[in-house]
Amino acid sequence: MELFNVEVAVANLGPLLAGLLLTVELTVVVILISLVFALFVALARMSSFAPLRIAAGTYVEVTRATPLILQLIYIYYVLPEIGIRLDAFTASVIALSLNYSAYMSEVYRSGIQAIAKGQHDAAFALGMTKPLAMRRIILPQAIRIVIPSLGNYFISLFKDTALCSVVSMQEVLFTAQVIAARNFQYFTLYTMVGIFYFAVGFPAARFVAYLERLTSRGYSRRKRI
Amino acid sequence: MTAAAPMIELEGIHKHFGSVHVLRGVDLTVARGEVLCIIGPSGSGKSTLLRCVNHLETPERGRIRIDGQVAYRDESAGGFRAHHGRAIAAVRAQVGMVFQLFNLFPHMTALQNVVEAPISVLRLDKRVARERASALLQQVGLADRVDYYPEELSGGQQQRVAIARALAMEPKAMLFDEVTSALDPELVGEVLGVMRDLAARGMTMIVVTHEMNFARQVGHRVVFMDAGMIAEQGTPEQIFTAPAQPRTRAFLRDLKDH
Repeated sequence: MELFNVEVAVANLGPLLAGLLLTVELTVVVILISLVFALFVALARMSSFAPLRIAAGTYVEVTRATPLILQLIYIYYVLPEIGIRLDAFTASVIALSLNYSAYMSEVYRSGIQAIAKGQHDAAFALGMTKPLAMRRIILPQAIRIVIPSLGNYFISLFKDTALCSVVSMQEVLFTAQVIAARNFQYFTLYTMVGIFYFAVGFPAARFVAYLERLTSRGYSRRKRI
Repeated sequence: MTAAAPMIELEGIHKHFGSVHVLRGVDLTVARGEVLCIIGPSGSGKSTLLRCVNHLETPERGRIRIDGQVAYRDESAGGFRAHHGRAIAAVRAQVGMVFQLFNLFPHMTALQNVVEAPISVLRLDKRVARERASALLQQVGLADRVDYYPEELSGGQQQRVAIARALAMEPKAMLFDEVTSALDPELVGEVLGVMRDLAARGMTMIVVTHEMNFARQVGHRVVFMDAGMIAEQGTPEQIFTAPAQPRTRAFLRDLKDH
């Protein structure tokens, strides 16, 4: 019997593609949430208001020091015990967003702190308040610096969505597991899953590499970004 | 705010950086339209004093008035809501500042650098702001560089954009912090030329500088600072030809040796 069974592959292409679509959906939703949330966490960590700074710092440290898979399980299986019942997709979105925002907030923070003090001086000397200087002068430069790092986190996130199979999120890996439990075509199914991940992940990684080249170019009239 | 009031008044300014007493009670008054040049060895507190005028550094003691209005006073005199961001921003908006390292916003073109604060701080109409900015860039000789990004410009051009950017706020006074120190020697002249024009137009200016020729020719008054205090002040003629203090003499002699 051949290892890769084309018939099985064709028969299960539909459900597996549906799983992949859910994987991509989950990734996109988490990207959108954490792009914004992480920025607020980063600003909170640099706030002059101590309670805010401490709360944000605690969240980041706790999140980074515990495994993502535990966070997923906690939100899906433990929260119902205190009356918070979430469906698999929502639980996955929350867990992944909380986890990735913790890391990404550190990326934002390093980007903001990389901006020279002279930029703050110049903005303040022109009469800008701190929030205005942050919005108009510091953040636009910082975000450009952190685009490649954030991109790499998003690729990693795309793969980490596979962990959501533990909360029976019907993404591509979970779908393959369910089918394999019926027909034992492990090689065929998991190879397909691997190919699917690679087919999305590799171009995404190339795109991030392109962004990295683009953002390292500096600001000029022709090479805008 | 009477016409007779000086433009900038500093009284008893003290400032520490950690345990270092950088400013030890500086009194200084700058009249309207006066060009005041501050010279002195590095570490003498010149730049810190300049940065105190627009709150980039906060003094610990003393009083600052700009155009007759309190811009800073220490707690003994009731304080100046030193933590109130808006009050400080309002003071800063009245005084333009140009820095040694230009500090242009790299993500904006020359024109965008100049229109930014008039639009976002003064809420000036965008069209009006652009017209004014174009005129200012023309005034500093950069009419053909409005759409260039800072890194496409030479140091001298960047510094002239920085001057135009400060002028766009229609400041009551301008502060120059060693603005030619980072420039290649052949580019110094174009920046000093713009400052000379500005002085001729009657702008009140405090110029921290190592350009003794500029201080001599354009300055109305020269202040020599040493160890956080004003050691001597007078007309350029007095300071450069007949300095009274031994420290001033030593400083000027050392300059000539280089």
